[in-house]
Amino acid sequence: MKPLFLSLITILASGVLPLFFYKRFTLLKALAAGGISLGCMIGLSGAINSLYTARPAAAAWTWLHILPLSLHVDTLTAFFLIPIFLIGSLSALYSFHYLSDQTKGLRTAAHYLFFSLLIAAMAFVVMADDMVTFLLAWEFMSISSCFLVVYDYEQKETRHAAYIYFIFTEAGALFIFAAFGVIYAVTGSFNLTSAASLLPDIKLLVFFLAFIGFGSKAGVFPLHIWLPHAHPAAPSHVSALMSGVMIKMGIYGILRLYLALSPDSVIFGRGILIFGIVSGVLGVVYAMGQHNLKRLLAYHSIENIGIILIGLGLGMTGVSVGNPAMAFLGFTGGLMHVLNHAIFKALLFMGAGSVFHGTGTLAIDRLGGLMKRMKITGLTFLAGSVAICGLPPLNGFVSEFFIYNGAFQGRTLEKTDFLLVMLAVISLAVIGGLAVACFTKVIGIVFLGEPRTDEAGRAHESDPSMLYAMGILAVCSIAIGLAPALFVGPSAMAAATLLAKTPYDNTIYSDLMTLCKDISLGAVVFLVLLVIVAMMRKGFYRAKETGLGPTWGCGFTRPSPRIQYTGASFAASILEFFRPVAPVHEEYIGPAGVFPSRASYHSRLNDIAEDLEVNWMALPIVRLMRHLRWIQHGNIQLYIAYIVIAIAALLLAGLWR
Amino acid sequence: MEGLVLLIIFLFLAPFFSTIIQKVKAFLVGKQGPPLFINYFTLAKLLAKGSVYSASTTFIFRLSPVISLAASMTALLFMPFAGAAPILSFQGDVILVFYLFGLARFFTICAALDTASPFEGMGAAREAYFAFLCEAAVFTVLVLFYRLTGSLSLTGYFTGPDVINLWRPEGALLLLVIAAMFMVLLAENSRVPVDDPATHLELTMIHEVMVLDHSGPDLAFIELGAFLKLFFYAAFIANLVLPSRPTVGFAGIASFFVAISVIYALVGVIESITARFKMGLVPKFILTSFALAFFATILVLELK
Repeated sequence: MKPLFLSLITILASGVLPLFFYKRFTLLKALAAGGISLGCMIGLSGAINSLYTARPAAAAWTWLHILPLSLHVDTLTAFFLIPIFLIGSLSALYSFHYLSDQTKGLRTAAHYLFFSLLIAAMAFVVMADDMVTFLLAWEFMSISSCFLVVYDYEQKETRHAAYIYFIFTEAGALFIFAAFGVIYAVTGSFNLTSAASLLPDIKLLVFFLAFIGFGSKAGVFPLHIWLPHAHPAAPSHVSALMSGVMIKMGIYGILRLYLALSPDSVIFGRGILIFGIVSGVLGVVYAMGQHNLKRLLAYHSIENIGIILIGLGLGMTGVSVGNPAMAFLGFTGGLMHVLNHAIFKALLFMGAGSVFHGTGTLAIDRLGGLMKRMKITGLTFLAGSVAICGLPPLNGFVSEFFIYNGAFQGRTLEKTDFLLVMLAVISLAVIGGLAVACFTKVIGIVFLGEPRTDEAGRAHESDPSMLYAMGILAVCSIAIGLAPALFVGPSAMAAATLLAKTPYDNTIYSDLMTLCKDISLGAVVFLVLLVIVAMMRKGFYRAKETGLGPTWGCGFTRPSPRIQYTGASFAASILEFFRPVAPVHEEYIGPAGVFPSRASYHSRLNDIAEDLEVNWMALPIVRLMRHLRWIQHGNIQLYIAYIVIAIAALLLAGLWR
Repeated sequence: MEGLVLLIIFLFLAPFFSTIIQKVKAFLVGKQGPPLFINYFTLAKLLAKGSVYSASTTFIFRLSPVISLAASMTALLFMPFAGAAPILSFQGDVILVFYLFGLARFFTICAALDTASPFEGMGAAREAYFAFLCEAAVFTVLVLFYRLTGSLSLTGYFTGPDVINLWRPEGALLLLVIAAMFMVLLAENSRVPVDDPATHLELTMIHEVMVLDHSGPDLAFIELGAFLKLFFYAAFIANLVLPSRPTVGFAGIASFFVAISVIYALVGVIESITARFKMGLVPKFILTSFALAFFATILVLELK
């Protein structure tokens, strides 16, 4: 526990200290970025240490004489601390050169305060051992991330995004409060573990109440609509931290509550599985239709949360039907994907930030040809793209491979579960295929081809601290892909915690290690062949002339960069296929008349969840409230009368009992 | 050992099998057709040439042929031929194989977009679109096979005691699977009616338009990779059709050879008697294969 406290103190101190130096911009950034990075490294070593010593640590205080505050570190906690500190440290490093506007000294200092608060709050969320501590940390996390989103508060969209995020995060928190309230009402204890004694029906109620809250934080499909607003608005290192790590706190909450409730019913697994499938497929479909790079990445977070939920859903199903192999592989794959997604999504958001730094725009169809001008950003972004598509030999494949293997274990299941498992396999395949489509769009349109605009043509590479952060993440991604056996330990240990009550033996663990070895074998064989083929290619090109010319235009003699395929045209046919769930709105003004004026085309993909929630939930409530407005009229005497009547009614109600 | 020998033989024979398609197509329209070794001549010619690269391209354009070929070669390492054990095998190798094809596709699409040509962009978009539908069909078949054999590797499917083939009690179901896999073969390997490998100037094509700007050894690698990929799918279906053989004898190899040839000839016949679909019909075609596989899997639920 000691290194963790030391690290949290360092992180918080590095957040407060810059406030005193806000006039000296570089010093401020160096203090904050350096201190937070250092604190995170201490925390990372502490987390790994407490994972492998496997000795649960705890600490407790009483606050205001009645509310308990207690912390506890077990394997699940230690596992989730790893991405928090890893990505926290790298995004702090990245921010050093990313925040480059010298005129915003005070704002940057305040930004670092909330940044350090967010990291510390996330660490406290996973370490919390009782409901009070958990909710306190949860609120700190939500509020500080809200302030991080509004960094560019001059812009209306940013304020709007922060507002939506605030509404969602607080509404979600209310559902969590409700779930915890039910537990407290029944058991009379703030301790989460007391929830195990609830009746099955109440367990179900608690779980799904909390699922709404945690799911809205995680970005599960119908509850996700804050995510594509907030991520593009926030600075890129904040998006990296929020998307890579903070949304996983929702996953952590689901798992912690699942562990506390320890339910036997199959409904939990099935429910999670269905939400996972829906989020996974629709997330990537909506990502296809985005024209803003960071918005596109935000929708991919929804997709990846879907993949994680598929893994966890398989795990829970495995536990409830008594199939430990399926449970272990599902949980391990889901948790591994938590870590992998943190790595490659942070990398991709940092890459997007670097693109923004270099060109000043995030509109996909205004970019192009960046691979030549931003080599390192391009290469690392390529690594991240291959990883997020789940392709070998990078890390995304490892976790998906585990989840596939877990799902295939379900071959002997009865009908409903078998069908769900089968749907999970098919949807994973579809998600993979669509992700390839989406990221070839990003790589092909943004980084390859010819620059579509002058901004893209003038792009320049970013500064070293940003490149180092991306480079380290890309190396992590490759390392996990090539040698998963070295990295799978934490996920497997956390997964073992989750099925502690299911009888399972060491053969399952050794099966997992065999899978890791097989992945390495496959990756190495492929890479060896790749090198051989590359050498053959080199041999064939030796002493041969290779010319350089324009792209063949099929007889078209006056090409311009504007005739290139755009992201919108690339995605059009796939979106057409998914039209019922992803309606595209087009505005087209064609050339008309003898002297046609400018033609224009504009397309926008509407999020059906957002449309439904606004039109069928928010607006009716607003309408209802408008009719109740007469209650609030500004007359103080009447307000006091309300209070008196309310107190009297409550007293009477108390007497009645 | 025999697996290695067979692999090497078939690596060299893959371009020859593709000639069968051309021969059959020529025969059905009453022509003599190209010489039997036309594909080897083409490869040799391409390998002897130099290349002209588009000034728009980056290293990805040069990397993509290498990845395509390496991915196809890796896939064949896992495929059992004529009942012999393959070079490599592990639980889950089919997933690796199909994901490696996905990796190859990723880079092919990127290389196409790298040229900044609108035509290649068109092909790239279609490739990405149709591929995810094919993947759904393939993975449904894998679920079915796992239900039948409890194995997740090509070796487990096609060698050993619990081998899957048409001559087992559940063979009738496999007719659906064979039809589905054959449709996937046509779609994934850019054959008629999904795509037309014979012309280069149609705007309405997929794979060939993506490699328009490749030349010389790069193009040879792409072609060879495509031959090997087609051979992989043909071998997959051949393994399904042939009865199981306990040992690899001359008869086993000969029958495998014949089965592969028949599959290629069938591709040729289909290319001769059907026209290419309009692009809007292609998804329906591939979804039909998905539906067949899904139906087979639902039926197997009743079986065991």
